[in-house]
This record gives sequence, C-alpha cells and structure tokens, in this order.
Amino acid sequence: MVYTHKHPALLIMGGIFLLIGILVGTGALDGLIAYLHAGKYKGEMIWLGYILGVIGIVFGAWHLWGRHEEGDLDYYGSTVAGAIFIMLVAMIIRWFVAPYVAVLSKALGPVMGAKYLHQVLGLNYVVLGILAGIIITNTIGVPMWARNGVRLSRLGLKTGVILLGTLYSLAELQQLGKLSVVLIGFFVLGSVGLVLLLGRLRGLPNSMTGVLSAGMGVCGVSATVAASPVVKAKPVEIAYTIGTILLWGVGCMFLFPIIGNMLDMGYVQFGAWAGTGILNSAQVAGAALAYQPDGIETLKVAEIFNITRVLFLPIIVLWLALWFVKREEGNERVNVFQVIFQKFPIFVLGFILMFALSSTGIFAPPQHYKGKYFDNNIPESKLLKPEEVAVLKAEFDKVKQAKPEYAPALQRLIENRKIMSREDDALIRGLNNAKIMSKKANKLLKKAHKAVRHTAKKIKKFRQWITLLFAFGLTGLGMQITMAAIRQAGGQPLVVGGIVGTVKAVLSLIVILLFVHETI
Amino acid sequence: MNATLLSPRRILLASHGTPGARAAEEAALALAEEAAAAIVLLYVVPDFWRGMRGDDWLNNVVTQQAFGDYLENELLREARKEVRRVAGEAERRGIAMEIRAMFGRPDACLLSAVAETNPDLVMIGAPRPKGVPGYRSRMKPESLMRALPCPLIVVPNPLASQKNP
Repeated sequence: MVYTHKHPALLIMGGIFLLIGILVGTGALDGLIAYLHAGKYKGEMIWLGYILGVIGIVFGAWHLWGRHEEGDLDYYGSTVAGAIFIMLVAMIIRWFVAPYVAVLSKALGPVMGAKYLHQVLGLNYVVLGILAGIIITNTIGVPMWARNGVRLSRLGLKTGVILLGTLYSLAELQQLGKLSVVLIGFFVLGSVGLVLLLGRLRGLPNSMTGVLSAGMGVCGVSATVAASPVVKAKPVEIAYTIGTILLWGVGCMFLFPIIGNMLDMGYVQFGAWAGTGILNSAQVAGAALAYQPDGIETLKVAEIFNITRVLFLPIIVLWLALWFVKREEGNERVNVFQVIFQKFPIFVLGFILMFALSSTGIFAPPQHYKGKYFDNNIPESKLLKPEEVAVLKAEFDKVKQAKPEYAPALQRLIENRKIMSREDDALIRGLNNAKIMSKKANKLLKKAHKAVRHTAKKIKKFRQWITLLFAFGLTGLGMQITMAAIRQAGGQPLVVGGIVGTVKAVLSLIVILLFVHETI
Repeated sequence: MNATLLSPRRILLASHGTPGARAAEEAALALAEEAAAAIVLLYVVPDFWRGMRGDDWLNNVVTQQAFGDYLENELLREARKEVRRVAGEAERRGIAMEIRAMFGRPDACLLSAVAETNPDLVMIGAPRPKGVPGYRSRMKPESLMRALPCPLIVVPNPLASQKNP
C-alpha cells in the first residue's frame, strides 16, 4: 500500500508558514501582533515559520510531483503532511486565535476577582487547540492526506515528557515522587477497589468490572486499552468504558481549571489535583497547561503524577489479570513477566535518562545546577523600588505571625532590595507560593526572585520545545476524539464511572487542599 | 410475476442481534418463507470503532497492537455468531440466503448494499427505546427514506411494547 497522497495541501501549508515567517520577519504584521499582545511569540513565528515552511514546501513538492512506491520512505514521508497539518492548526491558535480570545475577554472586564473570562475558563492555546482538533475530526473530518501523520501526536507528547526530564532538580523529583506515589497509590488502588466492589454489588460481569476498574483507576483510555484483552472484555463493554472515560476526561479538562481558579489553587496543588483526579492522562496535561499556559510548573507536577500512574499500570493490569483468572473458569495462567514487560512504558526510561543527563550539568555550566543559577549581582534597575519595599514592609508583621520561618529572608530582602542568597531565594519562593501576603506583595516577591534567578539558554530552549511538543501532541490527540466514541458512554459503566470519578475528584481535592502546600 | 410489497423476491435484512433486529429477522424470515423469497443478510460493524482508541498515548506499540488484534477478533467472533444464527434459521426453513458484512456508517452501508443487491424490500428493526443499553449507532431513517429505491419496513422493537404496554 502507498500511503502518500498526491495532494497540494502540504505545499500550501508550507507556503502559509513561510509567509507568516516572512511577514513577521519584515514587520508587516507588527500592527496585528501589537493589537493581539502576541509580541512574545514573534521570534517563534519567524524561526518556526521558516523551518516548517521549508519542510512543508520540500515535502509538499515531493508528495505532489514525486514518485511513490511502497516502502519505508513512502510510509514515513507520508506522515509529514499530518504533522504539518497539526502544527498549522496548533500555531494559528497559539499565535492568533488564543490572543484574540484574550483581547475579547479583556474587553469584557474582570469576571472573578482580577481574573478575566478566558483565564477563568482556561481558554488558552492548549484548550482551544484540543477543541479545534475535536471540532475538525467531528465535522469535516481529518483529511485523508493527513491521517497517517496525525498519529504522530502520540510521539510528540512522549517526546515532550522525555524532554521534561531536563527541568527537574533531584529535590523536586524526590518530593514530587513521594507525593505522587502516596496520592496515586491511595486513589488508584482505592478507585480500582471501589469499582470492583460496586461491580459486584450491581451484578456486573467480571469482564466489564475489570476493564472499567482499570480505566477509572489508572489512566483512562490507555488503561482500558491495556486491560481489555487481559480481562477478556466484550466489545460493548469496551465501548461503554472508553465512551464514559472520554466524556469525563473532556468535561474535567474544562471544569478543573475553573474550579482551580475559583479556589485560587497554587501550581503544585493544581498539578497534583489534575494528576490524581482527572481520569484520562491526555486531559491531565491539557488541564495543567490550561491552568498555567505561560509557565511549566503545573505541567511539571501533573506529569510526575501521570508518570507515576503509568508506572502503576503494569501492576494494576497484573492484579486484574490474577483477579479475573481466579473468577473465570477455563482461563490460561497469567505470565507475570510478560504482563509487566509488555505494559512497561518505555518512554519513562527516556524521561529518567534526560533527568540523569541534566543532573550531570551537560545542558548548562556545572555551577548552573539544573540550568538555573543564582546571581544577585544585578543592576540598579532590577532592585526593588522604595515604594515596592514599603508594600513588603507593611505586610511584614503578617508574615512574622503566620509563617515566622520566612520572616528573616523577607527582612533581608527589605533591607537590601534584592534577595541575598540561594537559601533566601528558596524561602522567598516558598513564601510566595504560601500566598500569605497580598497579591501585590506576592508579585513583588516574584519580581525579586526573577531578578536573581537566571535560566540557562539550553534549558530555556527545552522549555520552549516542551511547550510546542505538548501543543502539537494535544491538538493532534483532539483530532482523535470522536463524538461517536463519546456517545457510547452509557449503561452501568456510566453509573459506576460517574460515582467513582466524582468521589475521586472531590476526595483528592479535599486531601490536596488540606495537606499539599506550595513548597516544592 | 412482478415482485410486490407482500410478495417480494429478494429481501434485504439488516441485523446485528439486538432485540429490535431479531424482531426484524423473524418478520423477514416469515415473509420470505411465505413468499418464497431470498434474503440478503446485512451485518454492519459500525465505524465508531475507528475512534475507539481515543486519545490513548501512553501505551507502547505492543500493547496497542494487542488491543487492536483482540478487538478485531472479538468483533469478528460476534459477527460470525450472529450471521451463523440467522443463516442456520434460514437454512432450517429452506430460505436462500446471501450474506454481506460491511464496516462503516450503518445507513450508508445499507444504501450501498441495496445498490449492490437490488432488493425488492428492505427490513430493519426499530431503534431501541430510550434507556435500553446498547451501542449508539443508529440508522438515520430520514436519510434512508430519501435514498431508498424500494419499500422499507421498520419492525417494532419488542422492548417498546414492554415499556409502553
């Protein structure tokens, strides 16, 4: 079979990217960019516009006029059209649509405290990208010439997670790892157990209970896919389960950021909640980026939870396999090694490798540990101004009473108008995350932190690539969520899934609000 | 003799084993027996299965392949079971039967099967009543009525009379 379609679409898309690069590069779009407040994307529009433009035009010409024969070149070459198609949708939304939504939303004025409607609803390039993907696939459909390449979105997400490994410090990974193992362990095992119990009480077949418990407990559709053959789920049971999970997942992706904004949750809290409470792993990343589109802290937390979940997957599948064999007659014995080996997520090894490489300082000079380094030798313009110092002074007593451990660092900041040491920087960051002070004061703490904390260039690039890879991956995954699949949600799985999903989301929210603080 | 509504020569029966479809099967077999007609049995695997891997991205290729193979085998097993059951009943009653299995949108597949087999009559079961579990992949009667070149009989779903006696 020949996969390449003789179609001008790729050539045209390459032309569009190139045109964007040229227009932005020559300043022809400056007025539009200023109106959209999209200046931060200007550099990206130029270099990405040129790169994707050239790739699109070269491969587009080959697709349209070249000779294609069955083989690897045809198979892999055909994916370029789908990949560029996803990038075009994702980047048009990131550069133009999402900023325009923000302009419209700001015109309406704040709707919740100082927050605008698009911030409350999390309507940024990630959510809009997923939405665009869902709309495309359920209306005009993903074009035939793009179908092979759209599947690359999975590779994009996995690569994004692997690169994310470069951004953690050992201390972060230890703390987040412990937290995620405790929370995920409790809620995964708890929800698997609850589904098994409810299934027995409601008289569901073992195969349906088994597949539903994996989906509800571990990582949504991925767990359903992994567990279905093991518990011999019937097609109708698979359809019900996946439909229910997709319905919940898409709903939660919109609902969680709204609740997070209403409760004014910190990044660690929200990342932990999304990583525990959202059933489907793709929507965990979506919700994290929806909550914090211009930073990566929430995603970092949420992805550690995602990775912990996926590491639990082989164990849960094994548990379900043994559980199923015990209850059903005539089943083969479970090959423990085979289950663990086949279900092990190999990309997690890539994440660990990147973390290990980054820890050696390969991506930044040795003194710039983790690519971030402390240097308070800063110009006068970056020091806090006297009126800003006055704001911090006014709230000093509040800090002394509520969190006395932060007071000395704050005192030194007030005296010197800048953070004086690495240790003080950690404390000021903790004070900011603790949200004891007013919003104005917290902004000043952030400003003081940013003045002395610098990011290595390579790490900055990694952050940019990670954001782009997640935007690419999530938009592409949106193109694979069909309403026909969501419509299959129903029957007992919808009832049991609804109960377990709600219990898990609410309970995990309470636990996180009570016990998780912004000190990581 | 020309075929009429009550004495067709070839009936296209769309069935997938649900109570509604079984009612249509029974009606079609009875009519075919009486009118000495042949039956074309259409079994459709709905195309929503194409999107059933949804947004899974965590699994490796081995797991995804295992899921795909398992699902395909299960759907095939279900299809074989249903087709054998109806074909066995037709054989028992001495009715000639031709079998068509398709993958796609149910109404589009039915129209395509009608174009290929040229039946005098199409028989389907009525959609199940609301609240009754099952796949959500219904025929769209309006598009069928607009496009069908022959009469269409929709056999009432037995569950409807149980819900609204």
